[in-house]
Amino acid sequence: MSLTTLLACAWFGSVVGWRLAFLQGALLRYAPTLLPAGLCAAFIGYAPAVARGRDIIDVLNWAPSVGVNLALRLDGFSLLFVVLITGIGTLVTIYATAYLSNQPVRERARFVFLILAFMAAMLGTVLSDNLVVMYVFWEATSLLSFMLIGFEMQKPEARKAALQSLLITAGGGLALFGSILLIGMELNTFLLSEVARRSDELLGSPWLAPIIVLLLIGTFTKSAQFPFHFWLPQAMAAPTPASAYLHSATMVKLGVYLLARFELVFRDVPWFGDTLVVFGSATMLIAAAGAIRATGYKAVLAQSTVASLGILVMLIGLDGPVSAVAVCGFIVAHAFYKAALFFCAGTAIHATHIHELRKLGGLARFLPATATAIVLASLSMAGLPPFVGFIAKEYLFEAQLASSWNAFPVLVAVIVNGVMVATAAVVSLQPFFLKRGKIRHVEHGETPGLLIGPLVLGLLGVGLMPGFFSDYLIGPAAAAILGAPIAVSFSLWHGLTPMLALSGLAVTLGGLLAWRWNSFHRALNRMPLLTRIDANRIYQGVVDRILGTARWWTRQLQNGDSRRYVLITSIALVATGAWSMARSRSVMELTLAGELLPLPAILLAFGLLGSVVAARTRSLVTGLIGVGVVGYGSALLFLLHGAPDLALTQFAVETLVLIVLMAVLGRLPGIAGHTRSRRERRVDAGIAAAFGLLVFAALVSMLALPFDGRVSDFFAQTSYLEAHGMNVVNVVIVDYRALDTLGEIAVVAFATLGVWCLLRRRRAGTGLKPPAGKAGEGKA
Amino acid sequence: MNSLIFSTASRVLFWLMLGVSLVILWRGHNQPGGGFVGGLVAAMAFSVVALSEGVPEARRRLRLHPVVLLGMGVMFAVLSGLPGLAVVQGFLSHQWLVFQNGFKLGTTLLFDVGVYCAVMGGMLCLVFRLYEDEEDAP
Repeated sequence: MSLTTLLACAWFGSVVGWRLAFLQGALLRYAPTLLPAGLCAAFIGYAPAVARGRDIIDVLNWAPSVGVNLALRLDGFSLLFVVLITGIGTLVTIYATAYLSNQPVRERARFVFLILAFMAAMLGTVLSDNLVVMYVFWEATSLLSFMLIGFEMQKPEARKAALQSLLITAGGGLALFGSILLIGMELNTFLLSEVARRSDELLGSPWLAPIIVLLLIGTFTKSAQFPFHFWLPQAMAAPTPASAYLHSATMVKLGVYLLARFELVFRDVPWFGDTLVVFGSATMLIAAAGAIRATGYKAVLAQSTVASLGILVMLIGLDGPVSAVAVCGFIVAHAFYKAALFFCAGTAIHATHIHELRKLGGLARFLPATATAIVLASLSMAGLPPFVGFIAKEYLFEAQLASSWNAFPVLVAVIVNGVMVATAAVVSLQPFFLKRGKIRHVEHGETPGLLIGPLVLGLLGVGLMPGFFSDYLIGPAAAAILGAPIAVSFSLWHGLTPMLALSGLAVTLGGLLAWRWNSFHRALNRMPLLTRIDANRIYQGVVDRILGTARWWTRQLQNGDSRRYVLITSIALVATGAWSMARSRSVMELTLAGELLPLPAILLAFGLLGSVVAARTRSLVTGLIGVGVVGYGSALLFLLHGAPDLALTQFAVETLVLIVLMAVLGRLPGIAGHTRSRRERRVDAGIAAAFGLLVFAALVSMLALPFDGRVSDFFAQTSYLEAHGMNVVNVVIVDYRALDTLGEIAVVAFATLGVWCLLRRRRAGTGLKPPAGKAGEGKA
Repeated sequence: MNSLIFSTASRVLFWLMLGVSLVILWRGHNQPGGGFVGGLVAAMAFSVVALSEGVPEARRRLRLHPVVLLGMGVMFAVLSGLPGLAVVQGFLSHQWLVFQNGFKLGTTLLFDVGVYCAVMGGMLCLVFRLYEDEEDAP
């Protein structure tokens, strides 16, 4: 199957999976799992070809005129990601079905749909070769993450965390989009593979610094790097399967993915790599401190995830070919053990309803298989042999020693790896093995659905078949990052190397830390510096200030008096119009020569009469009729001057506006009250006159310009021959500018939906504030 | 509105306007008209019923919920762009079937039907909501 078909399957399959999730049978309810499992198998089928160095490319024209095509490309690095996404997606779907088995079936189906749709968006992001297409999928992952974090929407903290993650990741996404547009502007292409090939042109561009800075903002927000590291721990408000999938194994690695892709482009910019090393190290240290300070079970894991992301960002920043291997190896190892840890934590929390790490203990008696899985996963996290985590850590230290940096990253890495070892020990030993008897009973035991995920991942983490991983996943992926083939020997024993010594140092440090964990926990929580500089509080302050400013402006501009709105809008229009006309220095020529045409003159006179009536009358209905006369008059004028389409539309619009406005006027008093003072009326009249004058001047200067007939000639000539239509206006609307029309009707649809909802609210709320559930029932 | 003349006339007017709106939609590609005006006229046809017989009757005749109509309109417009994608010309490059006798049928018609439905649904959303207040809402 082609890549496009697979991607389309993923998207449509999410809807199918939603329906399948309604099935009730003991096995049938797991039916949605077939989608990610099938996709995983299909992608693995590509692995041999990709391992031989062949890129799978699939292009579907979307909007070729602006260089945006659905260009999909599968190389080693994207293969690594798609296999992780679909593989872990399979396990997450199984786990989620079991995890939410006590929830209403509608909720479970909604969750499965969101997870599957998220998987499709992730696949799209890592498969896209076109940067604009990638950006669309990138934002889709942000939106779906928002919906998953806020899945339990009745909880205020879930809503708050969801909004925070959306503001930060989608805001960063805008920065990324800016960077993409600048790249497109410089190179005239959005194709990632071509950008990589022509990187020297980009390096010489004056826009290089903005491109890199915007790219860094976009990727740092997504991958929770300092100073945006705080949203990820908050995102733990999501149900645990979502945390395991989005906020540890896949989505947060997107920033890393993109940075690794661009490492090839910006390799020769020294400050690009240095920035990554500095920010990655800062994130690692802050998150390590955060992990020791955290109290919630999932919060500890989240902080260690942030630290891992910091390690990845730092690794990308290091030069030398080994760092690419280290990045890929660490991505795989981290995805395996972190997803498994989250699964086990979720099972423990689900069974006990206790979220605090310190209140859990002795769970191994009740959940023996989960305890086995968590031991396997935490050994891999601690980086002990014979686990994949150990190999990844060896490569991490090797990359640092081989790079041109000094001992600083090595020092940071040893400390942070020590904290990781301690965290691994604490999250597995404390709730499952220590403090026996703390928990007397659990709500439910283990079910097969809750066990498959953690056990499979735990066993995969045992590095028993390093050859398979290195030949088919990590080797090709590293080669794709480097843009050149590289020999990867992914094995457990490298001999007595400096890396082994550093590993030993980290493990010793971690052992000490785990032993005195509680004292460190208390000491760090007492440190005034850390409590004062709380990024989350700074974020909240900024948001509050923005909202405050917005509220102030709203109070000034929209005080509820519709005349105020009209006044402000008119003043703004007159001012900007006058300013732009003064700037363009347009010529005004008004010749009074020519004969008086009787019919148009009569129509105009009627129009004038109508407007005078509308301005003078106090009766609203009379005013409406006056305005209607002006409208129908101009429709007739269009008809006279050979614009039947415009006239027809004007008639229809005018009539419907009358119908709609009459409905509103029917509820208002017939005669408007006298509320405007003489001075206010004078101001109104002045602004109205200025507006009229401006339109007049604009029309006159427009007529003074020579008529440019190129566009209309083109339409007139090609309309029938190429678009099979004789009515040029319609052909332009439905064919030449069809995309614009599509946008317009979408705007009409959304605007109407908004009005429709507002009117519905008003109807229900005739009396006091209506009870929340009754908004749709109306008066009856 | 309790007017015998209006309600009698509305029975004829409704079908007449609906028919005319379809004619306007169909001939739009070659003569003045098109989906936008057609949709407006169709919305007027239902507004006439809403004014004379009441909104519940107009809703009954429409069968579809106006919001559904609105969404269907946008969906039709998107669907009409897909064949162009399939023949590798790009989204919304319209495709034509030209018959032997000179009759032509293009995906533009589906696009125009989309515009028709979106405009009609949008206007009827407003009209139904605004006039419903005085009657018994469904």
